[in-house]
Amino acid sequence: MDMTVHEQAVVLGMHEESELKLEVATQWQLTWWKFRKHKLAMFSGGVVIFFYLVAIFAEFFAPWERTQYIAEYVYAPPQPVHLFDDGKWSPHVKGLTFERDPDSFKKIWKIDDENKIPITLFAKGAEYKVGLHWMPVPYLNDLYFTTSRHLIGAKDPTQPMYLMGADKSGRDILTRLIYSTRISLSVGLVGVGVSLMLGITLGGLSGLVGGWVDNVIQRLIEIVMSVPDLPIMLAIAASVPLDWSVIKVYFLITLVIALRSWTGLARVVRSKFLSLREDDFILAAKLDGAPQSRLIFRHMLPSFYSHIIASLTLALPGMILGETALSFLGLGLRAPAVSWGVMLQETQKVAVLALYPWLLWPAAAVITIVLAFNFLGDGLRDAADPY
Amino acid sequence: MWQYILRRFTYMIFTVWIISLITFAVIQLPPGDYVSTMVSQMINSGMDELPPDFEQEVRAQYGLDQPIYVQYYKWMRNIIRDGEFGYSWIYRRDAKDIMVERLPASFAISAFSVLFIWMIALPIGIYSAVKQYSLADYTFTLIGFIGLAVPNFLFALILLFISYKYMDQAMIGLYSQKYETAPWSLAKFWDLVKHLWIPVVIIGTSGTAGLIRTMRANLLDELNKPYVDTARSKGLSETTLLWRYPVRHALNPFISTIGWILPSLIAGELIVSIVLNLPTSGPVIFNSLMDQDMYVAAGFILILSTLTVLGTFISDLMLALLDPRIRLS
Amino acid sequence: MTTPLLEVTDLKIHFFTDEGVVKAVDGVDLTIERGKTLCLVGESGCGKSVTSRAFMQIIRKPGKLVDGSMLYRFKKDDGTDEIIDLAKLDPKGKPIRQIRGQEIAMIFQEPMTSLSLMHTVGQQITELIRLHTGATKHEARNRAIEMLQRVGIPKPDRLIDEYPFRLSGGMRQRAMIAMALSCNPTMLIADEPTTALDVTTQAQILDLMLELQNDYGMALLFITHDLGVVAEIADDVAVMYLGKIVERSDADTIFNNPKHPYTQALLRSIPKIAMQRDELEPIKGMVPSPFRRPVNICQFQPRCNQRFEACSRVEPVSTLINENHSVRCLLYEDVAAVHQADTEAVAHG
Ligand SMILES: Nc1ncnc2c1ncn2[C@@H]1O[C@H](COP(=O)(O)OP(=O)(O)OP(=O)(O)O)[C@@H](O)[C@H]1O
Ligand SMILES: [Mg+2]
Repeated sequence: MDMTVHEQAVVLGMHEESELKLEVATQWQLTWWKFRKHKLAMFSGGVVIFFYLVAIFAEFFAPWERTQYIAEYVYAPPQPVHLFDDGKWSPHVKGLTFERDPDSFKKIWKIDDENKIPITLFAKGAEYKVGLHWMPVPYLNDLYFTTSRHLIGAKDPTQPMYLMGADKSGRDILTRLIYSTRISLSVGLVGVGVSLMLGITLGGLSGLVGGWVDNVIQRLIEIVMSVPDLPIMLAIAASVPLDWSVIKVYFLITLVIALRSWTGLARVVRSKFLSLREDDFILAAKLDGAPQSRLIFRHMLPSFYSHIIASLTLALPGMILGETALSFLGLGLRAPAVSWGVMLQETQKVAVLALYPWLLWPAAAVITIVLAFNFLGDGLRDAADPY
Repeated sequence: MWQYILRRFTYMIFTVWIISLITFAVIQLPPGDYVSTMVSQMINSGMDELPPDFEQEVRAQYGLDQPIYVQYYKWMRNIIRDGEFGYSWIYRRDAKDIMVERLPASFAISAFSVLFIWMIALPIGIYSAVKQYSLADYTFTLIGFIGLAVPNFLFALILLFISYKYMDQAMIGLYSQKYETAPWSLAKFWDLVKHLWIPVVIIGTSGTAGLIRTMRANLLDELNKPYVDTARSKGLSETTLLWRYPVRHALNPFISTIGWILPSLIAGELIVSIVLNLPTSGPVIFNSLMDQDMYVAAGFILILSTLTVLGTFISDLMLALLDPRIRLS
Repeated sequence: MTTPLLEVTDLKIHFFTDEGVVKAVDGVDLTIERGKTLCLVGESGCGKSVTSRAFMQIIRKPGKLVDGSMLYRFKKDDGTDEIIDLAKLDPKGKPIRQIRGQEIAMIFQEPMTSLSLMHTVGQQITELIRLHTGATKHEARNRAIEMLQRVGIPKPDRLIDEYPFRLSGGMRQRAMIAMALSCNPTMLIADEPTTALDVTTQAQILDLMLELQNDYGMALLFITHDLGVVAEIADDVAVMYLGKIVERSDADTIFNNPKHPYTQALLRSIPKIAMQRDELEPIKGMVPSPFRRPVNICQFQPRCNQRFEACSRVEPVSTLINENHSVRCLLYEDVAAVHQADTEAVAHG
């Protein structure tokens, strides 16, 4: 754009560029202005931020402690929240009672209308730390404080409050859902980090060097893309020894998921480099005699940071879905780690699901965040193309 | 043109070979092998008195004591020379027989899914591009996104749940009872086609969104190209113009997407079959991986991968036919 | 005075973008005579292409023809004239489609991208011929070969089956011209047809177009930046600035007796035209952004070297200097009228 104006300015004999500067907003500004107009993308961005906040402050958002359970409340149904009692403001949930099924001897839960369990915001519950206590750095990890307030909870923490029901060991689904957010969302981030590195390095090499390097990398990408990923992922996941620690399994699974998704990014990067090589302003910089490295970092990369961010945002949901699917099949993360996929494992048996449909709540979380990432990424991608 | 086809064909062979290496390597990854699984099962079931060199003997019998490259060589040789894929320890039959039994259904599901996706994505993509920002465009986009966001297994799970709760269970499954164990025949195939739509719809919806978006974006790009103005300045009607020029141009990248859509279809087919317990490759692959029935797993993965590579090759051929720039270079 | 082929009055085309309304064409008056050449000149972005596209109703989204009339004198088979207002035609309707390609044809700036690379040259030309003449495939093909030959393409019977990407830029533009002329249009619009070509090819294509115009006798609207070209081919010249025609007259007058400071500056800035080297001087400043155009005052005033105090208050109107020469500049407006406008502005002010 600049170039053509410039060119024609020369034809018509004009050469004052200072006024032109005023009109040239930075790439970031342009992107942001365009992005702001995508209401759905903005909203989705809000949803994503909310999910990450929940992940970071899971202890606060979760009504219960992570591993807490009440054994007698196995498969307790969700207790709906009531805000008023006899027309008076008094938020509470109803208690639960059960009868035994005479044949199967299973518990059949009933809402106990007499038993009202008062609940409140900022309820007192289990103690937890907020801050940098988890950092393996001395002094820094002293920066934390301890509190026992939870966003919502029963006034008496020993009373049951299952807002989304309970699972097979009497654990609160909502609490587990909130803690799962941590793993499910961070798998995406770590995976994106890995594919970012692979994608930029290989795609950049491919686009910049060209020739046989480009050819080899293109072949590699083709191969990776044509291998059906799921069986390979299954095979690798099946090979994880049972005695591996949660952390090790976590990183392996993340790596496995990331190994596929870098190809898309590499292609974007490559084609960007290729098209930028021909681009006017790179040409202008070349004519000005700018050295190669400066060319890349000052001119080429900034112009597609926004593209990269958009591609990454679109790659994230794939990774989240990948982890969920693997864990659902029982080949991903294992207890005590909880992710949405791990939670959904319980729904594998349709008979269980039919009896306790609230086990499906994690699916709602998956769908929401995947949709949010897709809308956000779409908005970002549109915004990244200001011309 | 022939040069291009030849080059693509060479790539295909090369890719399949690499895939066979990867497959074989990955299959070897799990610690231990089938013999150790078998031994521990025997011990679990109460046989504590195994002959001391029992493990060694079984290994030698199956060639498991040889170096891995020898095993790979023999495996490949048998496949290429005799079409033999090795022996299944779990099923106690040739891996090939299991594959013959299970793969056709997988192929059928994948092929029909591709058709389904194309038939939906192409018209909707075109419509959405031409009527950009219309209500219909937004609606299709939204539906597409939901298809994208609901993972295959969840969709399958929900259908399963609905059919379990509200319908008779016959809805799930690939064959009517009388064909379940019957050998392949035209009637059985037709029966399969009639049952196929559930997995096809499940797998298809997740792929459709991506393709709609591809088609829409391609076409939007093309609609702004100068050659469209040229065509319009000739006096062509809008419809003729649309189909003759931009759609024709936008079709190329659309066709090349089949290359990358196949692997995800295969993955979708696997997981949906596992959830719905369909008699296709999915459950077999899953079980064989879990139980280290390596030749079965390797055979299935190899064939499915070859299928996707073949799909890519076919889409390359179609591209060459459609695009003179490729055909004439 | 002859009756004009196309008479454009107060043409306004606005682009309704998210960032605001771009008044790309803001009150253009033009006349094009039968068989004559009108050159439309002006800096990049002043609205030349948009104006010319409007004649065929092929304005791109989000552009809209908001006002004005374009009276086209259509010669019917029985020899009588029918006047059609092109501005009133539905861009997707049949009437305008019959004018496109048959009455008015267009050659675009980019020969690389203006032809579809997926269709042969022949397909793209015969399509047009068959659309408007109802010729058979065979007749259309012969006509196309004839046209290709006419525009100087060697071995036209072979080249007709080639894809455009196998041709050089010059050859493509020749094919484009052959296509545009294949239905004998009454008027040809050439939007910078030579800009993308190298200098030698430029000259060849230009010669070709002049020759063809002589032979076929069509009116030519030629859009260019290059005043050298204008001097060579124009009968009439219209100078455009920020969506308005600021001066128009016959070529002689424009080159020898330019009135508008902008035209004068343009002429001074072109080496070929300026007499001596030291007379060469650039026009100060840049074209302002489409969103920051001054309103209700002289648009050129910030860059003008002859501006006076009224220029930043009053918007000049088109003034006839003589029958054949109009200019849009306060310098040439009736002083009394300017004063009146002045006082009015103050009174409202
Ligand atoms: N699609 C569009 N959206 C918004 N504004 C547009 C669009 N197309 C053209 N314009 C506006 O119309 C103005 C005139 O454009 P036009 O292409 O007619 O210029 P031009 O005189 O032909 O320039 P050039 O010599 O570069 O071809 C531009 O300044 C631009 O701001
Ligand atoms: Mg133009």
